Amino acid sequence: MILVNKDTKVVVQGITGKMGQSHTKRMLEYGTQIVAGVTPGRGGQTIHGVPVFDTVAQAVEKTNANCSIVFVPPYLACDAGFEAIHAGVSLLVVITEGIPPNDTAKLVNYANIHKVTFMGPNCPGVVSPGHSLIGIMPGSIFKEGKVGMVSKSGTLTYEIALALTEANLGQSTCVGVGGDPVKGIEYQPILNLFEADPLTDVIVLIGEIGGNAEEKAAQYIKEHIKKPVVGFIAGQTAPPGKRMGHAGAIISQGSGTAKSKIEAFEKANIKVAKTPDQVAKLVSELIKQPAVK
Amino acid sequence: MNLYEFEAKNIFAQYGIPIPPSKLVTHPQDLNKIFFGYPLTLKCQVLTGGRGKAGGIKFAKSLAEAQKLAPELLNLEIKGCKTQSLLVEPKLNITNEYYLSVTLDRELGVPVFIATSEGGVEVEQAKNVIKMPIHFPYSAFLTRTLAYKIGLNGEALNKFASIADKLYKIFIERDLDLIEINPLVAVEGNELLALDGKIVVNDDSLMRQPYFAGWLESHLVDLPAVERLAKLHGVNLVELDGDIGILCNGAGLTMATMDMVAEFGGKPANFLDAGGGSDQAKTLAALELVNKNPKLKVILLNILGGITACDDVANALVEFVKAHSNVKLVVRLRGNNQEKAKEILSNYNVKLIPNLEEAVKTAIALAS
Repeated sequence: MILVNKDTKVVVQGITGKMGQSHTKRMLEYGTQIVAGVTPGRGGQTIHGVPVFDTVAQAVEKTNANCSIVFVPPYLACDAGFEAIHAGVSLLVVITEGIPPNDTAKLVNYANIHKVTFMGPNCPGVVSPGHSLIGIMPGSIFKEGKVGMVSKSGTLTYEIALALTEANLGQSTCVGVGGDPVKGIEYQPILNLFEADPLTDVIVLIGEIGGNAEEKAAQYIKEHIKKPVVGFIAGQTAPPGKRMGHAGAIISQGSGTAKSKIEAFEKANIKVAKTPDQVAKLVSELIKQPAVK
Repeated sequence: MNLYEFEAKNIFAQYGIPIPPSKLVTHPQDLNKIFFGYPLTLKCQVLTGGRGKAGGIKFAKSLAEAQKLAPELLNLEIKGCKTQSLLVEPKLNITNEYYLSVTLDRELGVPVFIATSEGGVEVEQAKNVIKMPIHFPYSAFLTRTLAYKIGLNGEALNKFASIADKLYKIFIERDLDLIEINPLVAVEGNELLALDGKIVVNDDSLMRQPYFAGWLESHLVDLPAVERLAKLHGVNLVELDGDIGILCNGAGLTMATMDMVAEFGGKPANFLDAGGGSDQAKTLAALELVNKNPKLKVILLNILGGITACDDVANALVEFVKAHSNVKLVVRLRGNNQEKAKEILSNYNVKLIPNLEEAVKTAIALAS
């Protein structure tokens, strides 16, 4: 289990908005410790029993929150991130989609200076099944176990988690880093955490076309990761020059192709699956012991 | 959003980057009002690259010659893009050409200056390209370092640096993905001028850039009609050659679903990512967009509700089925509120298949 567990105390920024409210409810139902919410001007209210503060600093002071999840609109999200980092959280999860990349670049820089783990933006969040869910994933498709997952895609992560769960292969932690071209945490630090985590036996790395993060991750795995890794790349049938939904998912000038990423995986001895069900099949061959029913 | 050369140059001029005198010509008779002397350069205004090679740039020694060339150029279509207008400028005596741009580097996560003293060509083919990351906080000395690194000195160094500084300011203030001068030319008297310009505005930033308000629709001309419509609806559509329409939520899942259709022997007709948190109206608009494809034989809808509520999707499906009872639909719907969705759809003839692989195979069977 990495990044989040039962002790993680979460403040929800944008808790009074439609998304903030509904996902706060879901996260509480999952058992996540949501200790505070923040919406400027709405301090003193409560949402699903969670106290709302005007600033993140107040929320952290009163509740000892150490993680923030951001649901505020795109043009305000960068400022919200700065506020959370300034207030001293150690994990910042930004769900918001459509943040201008120049804003994200500033936030990445600020997070690096303060050594804060910044996940996202445009990401589904992180879940340690059975312990804590900080994000927008449907909790019911995950199951506690020994597979560590890291992915650029939200719904594809659910698809693969579902395939694993249905094959009785639970997950230690699933991390969605998001599909924007400029983002906070990338594959490599998460691979390190999984490598050191005693509760993770097999790692599943889910990538997609665009950029070269998967190639870099493959090289890193070859040199530093001893645990078995199963890979999946989305976009093998994507035409070049077209942005496939995610801002970062584009094959430009021949680079960022699925082929190049799959070849890099194969060179690094990563087993590559072609369908979500195949991921489950490959994991079951590699895992030391199946998850307990 | 890509801008036309003349629009990019207008922005250059607003920030004090020197550009040649010019006139925008939409009718050949506009040429009578040009007073900066001959020979002239006539340049097609199109939203695509490779204009010179396609014959979109011509020179004229006299008014008569220009008047003969202008109608041909105004009718020229380059890579499927119609010429919007002609930008007419005096032909310059160029002594040197440079390349200069600012863009966001996705590996480094910061903006970068890219420059070379071999301008006028594709920068990918140039040697001695200097790439300089712009770490926060930015300061203008960086532009002088850049000018020095590409081999400039004296007055030229200062002039180049000043242009680079302004370029960076535009990049930040106007929320751009790319701003490029290619070539930046030195002319007699050591003047530096932006001879050609390219600007790509970041799509996610358009709503906070009042300068570009209302520009998007007229700047999507390089996209096929359906993709343009999709963009205006806020969904991501890419047209493909096959006959199985694909509608999913989330880019990765949409691509993976396309890949699976191909893997099991089918042909995807499109990529449509309705995005996270699609409501009923957006889902319905997405279904209608997929249904516009004349080659379509079946629609495969694959939704895993995280941020998207399955009951919203189900309600959209009901509306769609009422309007298009003849369209074959294979639906895979799981996640938040999936039971509610099942209930909504139970009164309608919609095939719900919970397993993705089975749903993909069913869609392929229905298409063949």
